[in-house]
Amino acid sequence: MDSILNIDNITKVYRKGFKAVRVNAVTGVSFGLAAGRITGFVGPNGAGKTTTIKMAMGLVRPTSGSITLMGKAAASPASRTGVAYVSEQPYFYKHLTVSETVGFSARLAGVGSAAAGAECRRVLEAVELTGREKSKVRNLSKGLQQRLNMACGLLGDPRLLIFDEPMSGLDPPSRRLFRTLFKKLGDEGRTLFFSTHVLEDIEAVCQDVVVLDGGKLRFTGSVASLLEKGTLGTEIVVPPLPGKLADELQADGLDVSRSSSDEVTILVPVQKDLALCQRKLYDNGVFCLSIQKRTMPLENLLYGGDDINRADAVNNGTDVNKVNDTNAENNNTGGADGKGGAK
Amino acid sequence: MRVMWLVAVNTFKETVRNKVLYNILLVAAVVLLLAMSFGDLSVMSRVQVMSDFGLATMSLTGLLLAVFIGVGVLGAEIADKTVYGVLCKPVDRIQFIIGKFSGLFVTLALNFLLIALIFIIAITWMVGRAPSPEIFSAVFLLMAEMSIIIAAAIMWSCFTTPTLAAIFTLSFYVAGHLNDLITLSADVQENPFTKTILVILHYVLPNLEFFNIRTQVVFGMPVADGHVLTAAVYGALYTALLLLFSSILFARKDL
Repeated sequence: MDSILNIDNITKVYRKGFKAVRVNAVTGVSFGLAAGRITGFVGPNGAGKTTTIKMAMGLVRPTSGSITLMGKAAASPASRTGVAYVSEQPYFYKHLTVSETVGFSARLAGVGSAAAGAECRRVLEAVELTGREKSKVRNLSKGLQQRLNMACGLLGDPRLLIFDEPMSGLDPPSRRLFRTLFKKLGDEGRTLFFSTHVLEDIEAVCQDVVVLDGGKLRFTGSVASLLEKGTLGTEIVVPPLPGKLADELQADGLDVSRSSSDEVTILVPVQKDLALCQRKLYDNGVFCLSIQKRTMPLENLLYGGDDINRADAVNNGTDVNKVNDTNAENNNTGGADGKGGAK
Repeated sequence: MRVMWLVAVNTFKETVRNKVLYNILLVAAVVLLLAMSFGDLSVMSRVQVMSDFGLATMSLTGLLLAVFIGVGVLGAEIADKTVYGVLCKPVDRIQFIIGKFSGLFVTLALNFLLIALIFIIAITWMVGRAPSPEIFSAVFLLMAEMSIIIAAAIMWSCFTTPTLAAIFTLSFYVAGHLNDLITLSADVQENPFTKTILVILHYVLPNLEFFNIRTQVVFGMPVADGHVLTAAVYGALYTALLLLFSSILFARKDL
């Protein structure tokens, strides 16, 4: 598939204060966006999401590395043809009315003067702002301004839409409206890339996900593969184990813990043979009380510190600390899943 | 060209809807009233007093406009991040700078024409004859001077805060009017280092007195042949240089 946005080993260092102290906002991040897919961009506050998006839009220059947008260098204005950016906060000229704002945006996006009127009506209708054309932007509530922001993003038939936390501070009806819009845009074959804190949105809307933390790439790939990473194994609940069976199972690499006085929980990591474990239990006359897949919530996976790594460690049966070290090295050299993982 | 036009029109709308503009026009109206009453008190003729006041008012309002609106026109855009809405579209930063400059310059030019018209009507009504046509040359040169000041305000806004940009623009205006004094100081300097600095300043700073033909207009003295055209070309080149420098600075700026 074509890469519509390609970020190659970018680093951004800011100089802060009088002493020009170095602040690494983004370090060695590489990933690509496949055309026609919806990609979520997640990470805690200060992870470097907005800086990365700004670099992609040519608002901020990377200290090193390169970015191509629609096949052209991101610094070139031509790369932004067919690209829409919706910022986290709506930044509008307060002296303009709603229709003037959309009209101005449409003309800048390359919509001809003859078609601008119809295009403005179309996008205002899409965000349910019809009837407010004459209102001054400054008189709109924050939610309505965000809708107007979205309307400006929909102008000119963009192939790629980049949203920076588009749903922050929105009321439930507006969130619903935005989610529906995202799905509709995705169904139309457009590429969507949006940063968010709301993991529900990722699961509900996105096909791919890019995870950033501390300015470094932690994961890039499909949402399904991320959730797969969160699969810890199979949990078997059994009655108390006879003799030294518990020790034997632990020696086999299984996690055995006593959940209550008459129940023992055995966690079989995904790499271990579940059937072999069940056979061993059966041979010792132990019958399962319950058996179920154990997964880590997406929230823990993304924001739970080293949980992506921990999940790997549990699944691989390796030392979590060793995995963390390895991943840290991978992130420094361009990411474990590396460049173009979301492609 | 289309993008520059769009940015210029938007800037024009922004400035004409700005209350600061009307406050500046109010100042001009007050000065007009004062000029009308001072005409009888002065040893000069009423036409001379009013012409002098008229041109001084235009110079003052132009400066106020360039400083208070000019600095805000880019500085506030960067601070309020409204610039995102424009630069995230296929817009080159140089187009944005030139569009901003053009919008503000048109506002200033219309403002000057309005004040000039009011003064000419007032003079004609009060003394029964129109002032010297040279007054239009003086207004034209004031516009050329102000185009330099607006471009300077935009340039300072590219790399500093609006407050500092305003201070720098005012200083630039004052230093530009003192350029002849800088040359005189350089001539009498014995320290070669200071002399070199003063000579560099003389060439780097614009000579804004070059645009001042107020004395000739007020006293009916002739203006040297080709002076208006030379000054206009000088103003245009200096403005273009400042805009080019602004564009380079702005292109490198993280927003």
